[in-house]
Amino acid sequence: MVISKPQIPYVDLAGQHKLLKAELMESVGNVFDHGQFIFGQEVETLERQFAKLCGVKYAVAVNSGTDALILALRVLGIGPGDEVITVPNSFIASTSCIILVGAQPVFVDVGEDYNLDTSSLEKAITPRTKAILPVHFTGRPANMAPIMELAKKHGLLVIEDCAQAVLAEYQGQIVGSIGKIGCFSLHPLKNLNGCGDGGMMTTDDEVLADKLKVLRNHGLKTRDECVTWSINSRLDTIQAAILLVKLKYLDEWTQHCREIAAFYQQNLIGVGDLRIPTDQEYEKAVYHTFVVQTGRRDELKQHLADAGVGTAIHYPTPIHLHEAAAHLGHGAGSFPVAERQANQILSLPIYPELEQESLNYIVKSIQEFYQT
Amino acid sequence: MRLEKLRVPFNYLDRQFADMDLYLEDIKELVMTGDFTIGAPVGEFERRIAEKSGIPYSIGVASGTDALTLSLKVMGVGPGDEVITTPFTFIATVGAIVSAGARPVFVDSDESFLIDPSKIEEAITDKTRAIMPVHYTGNVAEMAPIVEIANRRGLAIVEDACQAIMASDGEQPVGSIGDAAGISLHPLKNLNVWGDGGVILTRSEETYEKLRLLRNHGLFTRDEVTVFGQNSRLHSLQAVVGIRLLEQMEWITDQRRSIAATYDEAFADLPEFIKTPPVRPGVRHVYHLYMLRVQRRDELLTYLIDNGVEAKIHYPIPVHLQEAAVSLGYKKGDFPVSEESCNSIVSLPLHQHLTSDEIQATIEQVRRFYGK
Repeated sequence: MVISKPQIPYVDLAGQHKLLKAELMESVGNVFDHGQFIFGQEVETLERQFAKLCGVKYAVAVNSGTDALILALRVLGIGPGDEVITVPNSFIASTSCIILVGAQPVFVDVGEDYNLDTSSLEKAITPRTKAILPVHFTGRPANMAPIMELAKKHGLLVIEDCAQAVLAEYQGQIVGSIGKIGCFSLHPLKNLNGCGDGGMMTTDDEVLADKLKVLRNHGLKTRDECVTWSINSRLDTIQAAILLVKLKYLDEWTQHCREIAAFYQQNLIGVGDLRIPTDQEYEKAVYHTFVVQTGRRDELKQHLADAGVGTAIHYPTPIHLHEAAAHLGHGAGSFPVAERQANQILSLPIYPELEQESLNYIVKSIQEFYQT
Repeated sequence: MRLEKLRVPFNYLDRQFADMDLYLEDIKELVMTGDFTIGAPVGEFERRIAEKSGIPYSIGVASGTDALTLSLKVMGVGPGDEVITTPFTFIATVGAIVSAGARPVFVDSDESFLIDPSKIEEAITDKTRAIMPVHYTGNVAEMAPIVEIANRRGLAIVEDACQAIMASDGEQPVGSIGDAAGISLHPLKNLNVWGDGGVILTRSEETYEKLRLLRNHGLFTRDEVTVFGQNSRLHSLQAVVGIRLLEQMEWITDQRRSIAATYDEAFADLPEFIKTPPVRPGVRHVYHLYMLRVQRRDELLTYLIDNGVEAKIHYPIPVHLQEAAVSLGYKKGDFPVSEESCNSIVSLPLHQHLTSDEIQATIEQVRRFYGK
């Protein structure tokens, strides 16, 4: 049988929106009717639903996942002179936020789950450490039990970077409900995605939630009273209206992504030198990305591109090796696992709209690569 | 003719939707492309607003506040530096200085609600790095002496043009005088989008290139980070709205100026009660706010609101007397003109969608209050 060469993009936002167009436009149209483009009722409704989804009491919406991290650090009083422990393999923003509040990022290498290697955590703690910022990278929860235990032992705060991990579960708890504050991104490429930037913070602490609401809005307690200097970081009402539509489908989409991951696992484990991510018994990942590893990464990427299959690399350069991080004093070899992974990782397409036919084709193309 | 209690709204957004279908069509098209993050519409909007403003470069960002913060940062303003501005402004002017890591230093405003250039020199110290004049209400700060001082003392100028899009002083449009200017596209501004948004205008290509990094995580390419930066992007969706509204910019500005002229004339015979907004010869005031100085302000405000005219105060508390400013060490009496203004100002409804009945009702209610 000759298979004609399809085009399978790495992401397909148009596909998602084709299905939701009528609902989205109706929801956005409602915003026009009331005209409250800033802090319209949709924002509060979304916050309430999001909090419920994550099993926390409060959610506070902001302009981006990056701002969520910045405000979380700020509201916890972290600033100049403080150290915050995080990982070097994430998107740049999980380190930028630390720098932008004036604190010092301290990296801990990652494990084979792409998450913070908890066996290296304790030796990174110094008297200046104020917080740990684990990233639930690829949609897989970091191993939170030892992180929480060490945080408790050393009196540290835990801020969860949940940017990629909405609905991921760790020992039955939804991420964002484990640390002091959870920070989510609602960026167009995330599992729960707006049509523009957006972010969310989750917490059980009412005092923090109230402070965050002031911090996201110029430090204004009322229209005319400013109690602290702060930024402007609000989720647009229009984005909230869009997100409310999509939220209804999130369970279904998450389930679908897990099924796609299971299909990849069934068909790719044992193929060539591929390392395939799998769930540990303590977790239910949401597979924001499905990241495989191979010693022939660039070749495989090219092979798939030739076959019409889009892939991506998240990310080719670990944070500590970026020019921006030069002043932190790390170099090649500082975090060997993250560095090795940066050369071997490849993200395969994974999104709810992927057809089974496309999945078969992707798997077949990968198998072919290792047969030749 | 007697106009009894015609309701005159301050906000006009509901009237912008007379041709809503046009916007919805544009948005529908965008939603289907998925091009949400610094997409093609953002580039197009930037090109057009630069052209309309008569400035070579423009960069879309997430808000007017961010436009000011990033403008200061790109000028090298940071911790240890001082930035001179006026306390008679919206809180975000000062919030932006603090967000950049610097210390705000205030200079009193004058009878036009603008920074008093004669008082700037004495506020300069060894730490002063920049001056941030505010083109408050849509008027233009007196830039010639400010530019002279800045040049002589080696200071940067960031224009807070958040309320002053399309304003000019003689041949010089705002944004062309300082090193960079921040403009807000907030839903209540002369050029508004349907959520938060902002634009930075600059004549410098180098500044422009740096700002493109600073608004987008410091990303030089998708995978190379040269400087740690925040995430502050104008949404493609908002750019789509902005492109359409920009076509009406001349009409919007002319309408506002013409209504202001009507108000000026209507109150010209009441100088003992009302001071109409002063404008220097040659200045093109764009009247984001039509702000009067009046006798018996609080009574007038209550009277107008009771009679359906939605007047407002921008703002009742000068920034140096806000709780957030306590650490700066200012006290009541430090800036007498600004303080006096806060007690005597009132903003009348003025927007491009006001009808002549509404304008006449506003005039009549004001005059009636003063027994005229």
